[in-house]
Amino acid sequence: MKTPIGGEFEEAHDHEHHLGAMQRLDAPMRRFADDDEVDYLVVGVGAAGGVLLQRLARAGFRVVGLEAGPFWDTEKDWVSDEKGSHQLYWEDMRITGGENPLTFGANNSGKGVGGGSVHWAAFTPRFHPSDFEVYTRDGVGVDWPISYWDLKPYYELLELEMPVAGPAWYPWGDPHGYAYGPHPMGGVGDALIRGCTKLGIGVSAGGPVAILSGSRNDRPHCIYRGFCIQGCKVGAKASTLITHVPDAVRNGAEVRPRSMASRIQLGKENRVTGVSYFDREGREHFQKAKAVIVCGYAIETPRLLMNSACDEYPDGLANSSGTLGRYLMAQAGTVVLGRFDELVRMYKAPPAHALTEEFYETDPKRDFARGFAIQTVGPLPIAFAKQMMVARGSWGWGMRRVMMDYNHWCAFGVLGEILPWPDNRVTLSDERDQFGIRIPHIHFSLHENDKKLIKFAQGKTEEVMHAAGAKETLNEARFAHLVGAARMGKDPATSVVDLFGRTHDIANLFICDGSILPTQGSANPGLTIQALAARTADYLISQGATVFNSDKRDLTPPPVRPHLSPPGTHGKGVPRFG
Amino acid sequence: MLPNERFNANRERLPIDPRTDLPLKPRAQPGYYPGFSTLSQQSFWDATTREVVRKRVHEIPPFRFFKAEESRLLQIICEHIMPQDDRDAEHRIPIFPFIDERLHAGRTPGYRFENMPPDGEAYRLGLQAIAQISQKAHGKNFIELDWRKQDELLKSIHDAEPLPGAEEIWSRMPVERFWGLLVQDCVEMYYAHPFAWDEIGFGGPAYPRAYMRLERGEPEPWEVEEKRYEWKAPPACVSDPAEPDIAAHKEHPPAGQGGTH
Repeated sequence: MKTPIGGEFEEAHDHEHHLGAMQRLDAPMRRFADDDEVDYLVVGVGAAGGVLLQRLARAGFRVVGLEAGPFWDTEKDWVSDEKGSHQLYWEDMRITGGENPLTFGANNSGKGVGGGSVHWAAFTPRFHPSDFEVYTRDGVGVDWPISYWDLKPYYELLELEMPVAGPAWYPWGDPHGYAYGPHPMGGVGDALIRGCTKLGIGVSAGGPVAILSGSRNDRPHCIYRGFCIQGCKVGAKASTLITHVPDAVRNGAEVRPRSMASRIQLGKENRVTGVSYFDREGREHFQKAKAVIVCGYAIETPRLLMNSACDEYPDGLANSSGTLGRYLMAQAGTVVLGRFDELVRMYKAPPAHALTEEFYETDPKRDFARGFAIQTVGPLPIAFAKQMMVARGSWGWGMRRVMMDYNHWCAFGVLGEILPWPDNRVTLSDERDQFGIRIPHIHFSLHENDKKLIKFAQGKTEEVMHAAGAKETLNEARFAHLVGAARMGKDPATSVVDLFGRTHDIANLFICDGSILPTQGSANPGLTIQALAARTADYLISQGATVFNSDKRDLTPPPVRPHLSPPGTHGKGVPRFG
Repeated sequence: MLPNERFNANRERLPIDPRTDLPLKPRAQPGYYPGFSTLSQQSFWDATTREVVRKRVHEIPPFRFFKAEESRLLQIICEHIMPQDDRDAEHRIPIFPFIDERLHAGRTPGYRFENMPPDGEAYRLGLQAIAQISQKAHGKNFIELDWRKQDELLKSIHDAEPLPGAEEIWSRMPVERFWGLLVQDCVEMYYAHPFAWDEIGFGGPAYPRAYMRLERGEPEPWEVEEKRYEWKAPPACVSDPAEPDIAAHKEHPPAGQGGTH
């Protein structure tokens, strides 16, 4: 057995808190008492919660982030292994139904500091300007209360803060470029480029992904080991655990891990007073706060608000409109698998490294509204075997045989826009979890436009796979991401929050996560969620103490505050076009 | 049993060499990557990953969830879902103990279909259904059936057209959901094992060492080139059709489970 020069790699014996191979949590963390009334209590320290905590702490607010899962030490807690990574996923029970039931856990739900940004594949395309006005353009879905141009400055900030690697010229939507160079191609990206090029379809190679292509500060560059969705031990892939939370802690924020929020308390005068939560031993606490921001993502956010129902809001807190839990969306994520005569070895390189948005916009020649992207994916053996069970009906010797060919297979993922429908929704089941909190029930069914879009997207993706040289293709119907269920809008009768994430019903209760998205485009939502969080933070900072002592609702857009970015990120080496 | 007797007793269950039409002898490492060993690389893995894989290989969990009779039945079923007759006795991958362990610990994938009972109960019902079908169709316990009859019975569940005998159970639990639960657990346990990684040529854990040859399916210096051989499925099995076999899923294809993008 060979060993590295200097002997085999040893356990991290130090008492440091590792955030990637080089970075350490280098400051003691502040600890607030439960009866210490903090300024903002953030529920859920994931993609949005991490950014909010960082911004608000930097601006001098007293902030606490409650997180149901652990505060990861990437060196001691994470593994380079598929089966060993279940702890990263939200695997508390959820009941799923409808005609096209969604699956959760590893598919789309994170637990622990960093949330889903710990196990995302880290594709970070922006939404297109058209995404914000699909009703005006196509008569489907709903318009956003903000435009692309409101969000653009925050896209630019977050692309540097993560940062995002990609081509210097990205042609779709609002064309732009990336500061960090594109990644080298793996076997799947090669195939996507080959197939697209043969068919005359434009393709982006090596990004946009929030994975470092060159080292920056105390974060090393990618080592192409392919375990992105098992958590990046390297610290090359961005997650708020390593990009924003350390800066939040350094600036006085408290992150309180293994704290499961159970109920938001409504006090006098229609204002919330804090949040009840269970600690790791199952003891119940109540943290007082002047304002609460719920960042639990598209299932846990509506669940918490519904579990906080009270006399004033019998159908769930901030649900006077009846829209809470409704308009839940997942993206069509059909995986097209192609078998090649030559070897691909798709386990190497990040799963996310090339894509095309050529089919993103509505095309009047097609029989459906909106569109889709085609992206590289890189299922590891267990995920691939499960795909073969679905796509090929494999079991027994048939499973053994197709798996022996694992290295000959290549996988592309459709990312298609599914429209918001009121009957796709989160409600509460009568069953309870380990804390006695009612668990969510999710109902999801595809509608006509969604089905047509998926059929077309699958066919086009198969065409690209064949053009790349595949001799056989299969497909696995599936869904990716979760957004909606507490959507933002101008009209309090048809939406839950306003354009800054403040609930229409309660002036000191905010929601900031994927659940506020009115529609979702065909772009992975992670970047947009973090950009919205940075914008909400700027808004809250502009409002100052008004949020804490008045019900006044000022909708003036805040100035962009680039100086609140984590140190050394803003304004570094980004090319600008237009 | 002497090795030769064992070989002969199970020859119906062994893959066939198409050049000679004779069974292929069980070997330490089936698959097209002879000599490839992920475990030989473990000094290059980080310590946490090394420990997780070591435990998986060396610490087989005790049986706690299933009753003795259920255990015997499910163990045989696992041998059909992930057959390993081509592996020698020292290189088989335990599957049943890890399913038992998951259910004992109450770990879930994070959801349950609304028309399904909890996973443990689903397993118990599914095993009852298989026992009932076996009695109705053959008047025998499943484990007494010959191998091919067992395979055919399971194939009828795979096809979502189960042989008669357990209608009441399938009215409480959709047959295709039970099949999905069973197959997913079996493949998760099999392909989590380093012997399976060696079989399929997967590089395994790769931190902190990294990969450097990303393009054209090139092996790393410590990986090996593919060396294919032909094999036919064993005569006593019906699980290896030439064409994709998803007739049962045309109406309601099951959604993908793992994360991809």
